[in-house]
Amino acid sequence: MLRRRLTVAFALAVGVSAVALAAGSYFVVRHNLLKDSVTSSAKQSRQNLQVAPRYLPDQPANLLDVYNGIGGFETVLVAGGQQYSGVGGVGLRQVPPELRKLVRDGKLAYQRTTVAGTHYLVVGGPSDDEAQLYFFYSEQGLWHELDVLRNILLGGGALLVLLAALAGAVIAREALRPVARASEAAHSLAEGLLETRLPVEGRDEFGAWAQAFNEMAGALEAKIAALSAAQARERRFTADVAHELRTPLTGLVGEASLLSEHLEQMPPESRRPAELLIADVGRLRKLVEDLMEISRLQAGAESVNAEPVDLASLTAAILRARGWSERVSLDGEETTVTTDPRRLERIVANLVGNAVEHGGDDGVAVRVGRDGSGAFVEVADHGPGIPPEHLPHLFERFYKADPSRTGRGSGLGLAIAHENALLLGGEIDVRSEPGEGSTFTLRL
Amino acid sequence: MDEQLLLVEDDASIREVATLGLEQAGFAVTSAGDGREGLIQFRQGHFDLVVLDVMLPSLDGFEILREIRKDSQAPVVMLTARSDLHDVVVGLELGADDYVTKPFELPELVARIKAVLRRSTAEPEGGVIAAGGLEIDPAAFTVRRGDEEIALTATEFRLLLELARHPKQVFTRELLLELVWNYDYLGDSRLVDAAVQRLRGKIEEDPKEPKLIRTVRGVGYRFG
Repeated sequence: MLRRRLTVAFALAVGVSAVALAAGSYFVVRHNLLKDSVTSSAKQSRQNLQVAPRYLPDQPANLLDVYNGIGGFETVLVAGGQQYSGVGGVGLRQVPPELRKLVRDGKLAYQRTTVAGTHYLVVGGPSDDEAQLYFFYSEQGLWHELDVLRNILLGGGALLVLLAALAGAVIAREALRPVARASEAAHSLAEGLLETRLPVEGRDEFGAWAQAFNEMAGALEAKIAALSAAQARERRFTADVAHELRTPLTGLVGEASLLSEHLEQMPPESRRPAELLIADVGRLRKLVEDLMEISRLQAGAESVNAEPVDLASLTAAILRARGWSERVSLDGEETTVTTDPRRLERIVANLVGNAVEHGGDDGVAVRVGRDGSGAFVEVADHGPGIPPEHLPHLFERFYKADPSRTGRGSGLGLAIAHENALLLGGEIDVRSEPGEGSTFTLRL
Repeated sequence: MDEQLLLVEDDASIREVATLGLEQAGFAVTSAGDGREGLIQFRQGHFDLVVLDVMLPSLDGFEILREIRKDSQAPVVMLTARSDLHDVVVGLELGADDYVTKPFELPELVARIKAVLRRSTAEPEGGVIAAGGLEIDPAAFTVRRGDEEIALTATEFRLLLELARHPKQVFTRELLLELVWNYDYLGDSRLVDAAVQRLRGKIEEDPKEPKLIRTVRGVGYRFG
């Protein structure tokens, strides 16, 4: 999540800076304090050493008294093979061996050591009389100060990191608020609320972004409005065309049916054209009626008159009424559903009609019943089948699996059956095996 | 004597071919090309049946039907556009006996007309039925409540007769379509519903609380 990452990054950046700064100051302060301590201790030690020859080698005790009087350090004296120490409880044992070696070699040297938990700076130097003097300067106060400083820096750093994390979270939320809003807006756009817009605040990148987003949403809204208007116009046009065709078509259908009653009396040269005319009028009628039906269905203008219907007896009645009973076998027992029998008739008649027309000579098998997913009417033929690439398009208007083949249908039958099935709350499945046949199943 | 038909249809071509077809089927046809003329013809002549287009100039089919039903129970077959399913319901509620959708084949129209005419001419069998305070006389085609005669169309009369002959028996819409309208296959059940509504309006004391023709939900109707 971006917000958490931003917060962590912010806290980390502040934390690292704070630690670097704190560590830097701590070590600079420590270095200086330690150096000052060495400088002042060395100075004091030199003075001490200058005093020493007056009392050595005879009066080491007096020298220690003098040192004690000066104060601020404790002394260990080695003279003439004897060691003498002051009141503080430090002795030659506490002097680090490296330091003793340097001092025995005649050098002035210092080293830090800890005696019973107390930090000391030990400065050692030789006296003229083969004596070595060691001065213990307590650095306890110095180290305590350094400890306090370190604790302050650590606490401050931690507080700073905490504050930075808090500030980071707030800043990230504020900075990302436009992003959150944009993502909400994109969601509602996706859900179809095309009038969704983002508030444009300020002239920063987010402001420009919001503006661009709004322009995109506006363009999308306009485009979709134009598309649906075009679609509505197209459907309206289809419906209008079909509607306008109906009046002359009614005349044609009437004239054709009059002609068909008088074909016998016609001279042979006009009889055949009259027969063709009658057949073509029938095709035209089917096409116009199908066009009217599909445009009504797609405009959502159709209603359902549901009543209890027995699928088996309705299917039997359809087969009888269309003269298909001999070529089509019907299998199944009484299956009562509440649905619109006229729409159901359209669907079943279409599926069986297709099977009879395209299904070869082996007959058509219709099965009616109920299974786990509800009532069904299944229409199976043993025709040439439908190549798989055509299956997804079968229910489209005017889709023909074989363009060279002009069937007797309008090209709208399956589209109408499909729309009717949807209207009844059902669907049509198709399975087909080239060479084996096709099975259409209406599920309600 | 040939039955007299009045055909009201504004499209000249349809009017002519329908006239030809109906005449060849044995009817005497008078035709009118617009609504006003149609109504004038109806009032001047005597017609056994009216074939009425819905979409007409000057006076539409519904208005003519409303006028006709004010004082006549003459059978009426409507010609409707299939896409205007609303028209079918309105026409039936106004008292049309049946309807044919355009485009129609002439034999289809002739069959519908003959079926409607049979209801008004073929003499029903059986004697007078007294039920629910009504006196139904099949021979005279009359229904009386006391001294008052109730005017029914032939369709309404046949429907009442079929139901009243078998009180308490439930009739499905399909059965009624077969018995009264002569549809043997998928008739429009709205024909039954609309005729029942009109019949209730004429014979029930309170058509909203029907006591004579009761609805059996999901199935159909029964008398009593």
